[in-house]
Amino acid sequence: MKNRIIVILLLLMSIQLFSQERYLTKEGYISFFSHSLVEDIKADNYQVLSVIDKKTGEIAIQLLMKSFMFKKALMQEHFNQSYVESYKYPKATFKGYIQNLKELDVQNETVEIKGILSLHGKEKEISTIANIQILKDQINLSGHFMVEVADFDIKIPIVVRNNIAKTIKITFDLQHKPYK
Amino acid sequence: MIVLVLIIISLFFIINLYNKPFIDIKKSNPELEVTAQEILDDYLADEYSANEKYVDNLIQIKGEIAEISFDKGISIITLKDRSGFSSIICHMLPETNLNVLKLKKGSQITIKGVCTGYLFDIMMVRCILTNSNFNEK
Repeated sequence: MKNRIIVILLLLMSIQLFSQERYLTKEGYISFFSHSLVEDIKADNYQVLSVIDKKTGEIAIQLLMKSFMFKKALMQEHFNQSYVESYKYPKATFKGYIQNLKELDVQNETVEIKGILSLHGKEKEISTIANIQILKDQINLSGHFMVEVADFDIKIPIVVRNNIAKTIKITFDLQHKPYK
Repeated sequence: MIVLVLIIISLFFIINLYNKPFIDIKKSNPELEVTAQEILDDYLADEYSANEKYVDNLIQIKGEIAEISFDKGISIITLKDRSGFSSIICHMLPETNLNVLKLKKGSQITIKGVCTGYLFDIMMVRCILTNSNFNEK
């Protein structure tokens, strides 16, 4: 009888542990790249916050627009002040699901991620294929997808219209660790 | 001739503006000097007004090291708060890496850098260690 209670207790505890199987990073990497005939523009952000719930496949990503680092100070200034208006919209977020995360157990695979990207006060549904690596105490996600500047109501002045691509490539590399 | 000179002068200014450098963290004086606890209290009280006060400004923060980590060639120093709920994550400039190696968890340091905002933690970029960290030893 005593043993049975212990077994039930252990089972209950393990269920609770599983439901809290969260993986997190505060040092995720996201960059964007714009290619045009005039110039290439790249900005890196190494301060991305991302949380995965392994049980449900839910993923939530947050970043600060000001944490994007450019090669040129002037580009960074224009980006924050005129294009994405960081003072008004300081964060970009992504909320979505990693499809069929529970069924994955092979170390290297690709997964489909679907969700909503919010940026500059606008929302847009994103669907992308990412590489996933599930290790004992790590979940790594990496890949890239394209976004249209126009979808986010970002206005580029005519003078520099040729310098900035209409479609921007977003690259991500997020290495999550168990959340304690 | 005059037109040509004018064009050359204006080109010079345009190129200069285009290549405008980032502020020199080392040489510039901080606009604000705070303790880790003060800035965290400000952010926990009201993120919006704290953003107005700190974001984009060169600030100097004094606090206790909770963690030091290295990731993709960048050293990251986390400053702790009394409650342990939130912290200040400082991404250091590569030139500080050697000095960061000399630091230990738990010691008091002063960091100068640019605040980019708040994501459960206060985020700092382009940070350096001020000289006072090494004079005291």
